[in-house]
Amino acid sequence: MIYDLKNANPRARVNVKLVSETGVGTVAAGVAKAHADVVLISGHDGGTGASPMSSTRHAGGPWELGLAEAHQTLAANGLRSRVVLQTDGQLKTGRDVIVAALLGAEEYGFATAPLVVSGCVMMRVCHLDTCPVGIATQNPELRKRFKGTPELVVRFFEYIAEEVREWLASLGFKTLAEAIGRSDVLEELAADEDSKAATLDLSAILYPPPPGVPLSCTHQQDHELERTLDAKLIEACRPALDEGLPVSGSWPVVNSNRAVGTMLGSEITRRYGGAGLPEGTIELEMTGSAGQSFGAFVPSGITLRLFGDANDYLGKGLSGGRIILRPPLDVPAGFVAEANIIAGNVIGYGATSGEIFIRGVVGERFCVRNSGVLAVVEGVGDHGCEYMTGGRVVVLGPTGRNFAAGMSGGFAYVYDPHGRLAERLNKDMVELDNMSDDDAAWLRGVLGRYVAETASAVAERLLDNFPAHAGSFVKVVPTDYRRALDAALLSEGEADAAGAIMMAAAHG
Amino acid sequence: MADPDGFLKHKRREAEHRPVHLRVRDWGEMYERADLATVRDQASRCMDCGIPFCNSLKGCPLGNLIPDWNDLVYRDRWRDAIDRLHATNNFPEFTGRMCPAPCESACVLAINDDPVTIKQVENEIIDYAWEHGWVTPVRPSSKTTKRVAVVGSGPAGMAAAQQLTRAGHDVVVYERDDRAGGLIRYGIPDFKMDKALLDRRIAQMEAEGTVFECGVDVGVDLSVEDLRSGHDAVVLAIGALWQRELDIAGRRLGGIHLAMEYLVPSNRVQAGLLDRPPIDAAGKSVIIIGGGDTGADCLGTAHRQGAASVHQFDIHEQPPAERPESTPWPLWPLVLRGSLAHEEGGKRVFAVQTDAFVGDEKGHVRALLGHQVRELGRRNYEDVPGSDFELAADLVLLAIGFRGPDGQLLDKLGTELTERGNVAHDGSWGTSVPGVFACGDATRGASLIVWAIAEGRAAAASVDRYLVGETLLPAAL
Repeated sequence: MIYDLKNANPRARVNVKLVSETGVGTVAAGVAKAHADVVLISGHDGGTGASPMSSTRHAGGPWELGLAEAHQTLAANGLRSRVVLQTDGQLKTGRDVIVAALLGAEEYGFATAPLVVSGCVMMRVCHLDTCPVGIATQNPELRKRFKGTPELVVRFFEYIAEEVREWLASLGFKTLAEAIGRSDVLEELAADEDSKAATLDLSAILYPPPPGVPLSCTHQQDHELERTLDAKLIEACRPALDEGLPVSGSWPVVNSNRAVGTMLGSEITRRYGGAGLPEGTIELEMTGSAGQSFGAFVPSGITLRLFGDANDYLGKGLSGGRIILRPPLDVPAGFVAEANIIAGNVIGYGATSGEIFIRGVVGERFCVRNSGVLAVVEGVGDHGCEYMTGGRVVVLGPTGRNFAAGMSGGFAYVYDPHGRLAERLNKDMVELDNMSDDDAAWLRGVLGRYVAETASAVAERLLDNFPAHAGSFVKVVPTDYRRALDAALLSEGEADAAGAIMMAAAHG
Repeated sequence: MADPDGFLKHKRREAEHRPVHLRVRDWGEMYERADLATVRDQASRCMDCGIPFCNSLKGCPLGNLIPDWNDLVYRDRWRDAIDRLHATNNFPEFTGRMCPAPCESACVLAINDDPVTIKQVENEIIDYAWEHGWVTPVRPSSKTTKRVAVVGSGPAGMAAAQQLTRAGHDVVVYERDDRAGGLIRYGIPDFKMDKALLDRRIAQMEAEGTVFECGVDVGVDLSVEDLRSGHDAVVLAIGALWQRELDIAGRRLGGIHLAMEYLVPSNRVQAGLLDRPPIDAAGKSVIIIGGGDTGADCLGTAHRQGAASVHQFDIHEQPPAERPESTPWPLWPLVLRGSLAHEEGGKRVFAVQTDAFVGDEKGHVRALLGHQVRELGRRNYEDVPGSDFELAADLVLLAIGFRGPDGQLLDKLGTELTERGNVAHDGSWGTSVPGVFACGDATRGASLIVWAIAEGRAAAASVDRYLVGETLLPAAL
């Protein structure tokens, strides 16, 4: 994950948020070894109105404890110097900032306080779309009520900064940087002798790391991005990146090549924005076994054709690019693609647009959280199309159980000649429908392109006599999604009614 | 929560009032009953805020569980609603009619919209409950044998007495006047609250076991020694009836009276205890000095008596119509308020100071001399040069506030006073005299009825704890 994100934007810091709890130091050390740039220790006092009650009330511990543990663990293991420590969880004053600094944090997150400064009154209805001060809402009527200004937030932080300066001065520090990790200047308040507080032993929290160990971030993580396959791909694709010229090429790939195409994609996005390059500008053919996250976050303009197989997370966060995965050309005679697993789990996770054509069967959670990708595959494991909100998925073979769990948008077309889907479907939010003529025509076109790319035997058989097979496809439609689509078809004169239905559907 | 979208569906709609031309001809209440569907719609506007400012101390000193009963009304669960309302407020029909509703100015909707009609909903819940016979005596399940004297039968004394009676103590309420109720009885005109409401509350309390001894002036008719030796605890709820005076030239002329000298006998006429008011505004040019609630009560009374004209003077400049920055939400906003009586006529004159009264040859007031002022700050005024004026007046009423509790009883008891002259207490309503507690206007100075009830409840909890060591009586303060 950290690696994928770094590839998706090498200039961005990857910040890993950890719940403050016992043992968070070990987790922080692991995250630092995995090359996170920032580790955030998040305390339990926080939680804006958008947080569920269960999280606000029952998750995590105080940031002070988690921060002290993380800071000490990182320092003791020689990792403190290469990550920035951040903390949050209802920080409200300059004193909070100073305490966090002395316990080892270099950065401090504020959310609730500046929200209140901008007008939030902690209604705790962020999830209802009824925010009466127009903050947590998309309702135009409510948004008119928002009276916050940037100046209010600026003034708040000026006060915070001023208080921080006062504390620094009273502690004898010239800069905040000098105060980081100086838990030795924290003093325990004397508690009443017979109070519970008097039994507390804070020495573990104030424990100073061994002398000479850096107490703050002194250098950046080495992500070794220059050793990636993408570093070579970027060089090879210069004409496309610089001038938008078509580029094609063939590359071997092995499973230590993670996030292939991702950094190349980030270069396109940096130069050409979210629109990317015209379809087909960069066409790369790869052979071998791809590592995790093949083609993750790839934008429009890149087509990756992989002959071989792939690990988990293929096409994760796909953002307009095309990925074609098919068995190698030199498979033994008698190899049946649709009877073999060709890629792992969580393919197309959170993808927003683009195409994924896969010849063969894949693992679990196919297209989980997909919001716009067209994906075609010959069979999926359990939990297919989970939490999907948009896009279209075509499955030409068997599905595992719990298909379409939490699916709120998009469509899935499943070839189901034996009527098995119904019993494997999670029907909480979706219903089954027959294919319309429009659906059939669209599907036929898609399968045609799919065959052209993958030579899928299954799809070829279906296309040979498509009208006969079309009836064996089942369409999975989210119930509220259908209501919203129906509303969108209402004429303009019925705009109010359509809006009301949309809002009702959106609120479930 | 009531309807999450209620505040988007319904605009604030206040209850109708009886037409002015009809109501000024009688002494009946000014209000009309709202229809239940409207009340429910209005209750549905409540957003069940994560932080309900309406029942914070800035909103409701009683800590009324406003979002709870708004929801119950919305769901048509009136029986549950009155239980929830009575849980924090002994006399919702009093506050529903006479509280200026700081809850509404603290309502989150009031930030950028019109607040929920909280007071109206409260009023409807209690009226509905009385109509359905749900308000019945709540008798204590066991008795303690402790005797408590409550001195004063205004809202603070009544609240303290009801709470202490229900806790099992033998409670006697001593009232100087001939009938119980304090300022509510003879200070508040009937058009603001029908005294039958007070009578039925007192009947409820008597059925619960509270004893009212009227016509007993404690310190005179009953010595403080007897008061203290005859009771295990004493609660002083004697109000703040020492009226502020205007010592200027001509004050001794005839036709110039303190507000209470005017209102009390007038209200006794309404109660059928007097045939004619000794001070009658009929046909007179009336000037009321003082822009507060008491002044408004004088104004409504004068109109009903048939005054020829009524002016109400206020030393403050006319406040803005909208909430000014100086009193941001959820504070009580300094805005121009009209009591219902102001709808009925009269002229409000702002930023004026009275200099002297001018009498006729019979020693009766004929006119008032005054001038305009500019308000520089709190209690800081600057004269506007050349703004002197004279205004004819046959009757002048001074409604410029109260200075604190009457001193005689307190002198005899020897309770310590605060710098402002109120009864000092230890934060739990205990005075400097052991076993003697105080609450309401006597400790706060003249204030809202909602504070009186809240302090009465809180003092009762303290007395209960003092008497038996612990208490189950709830208190929001």
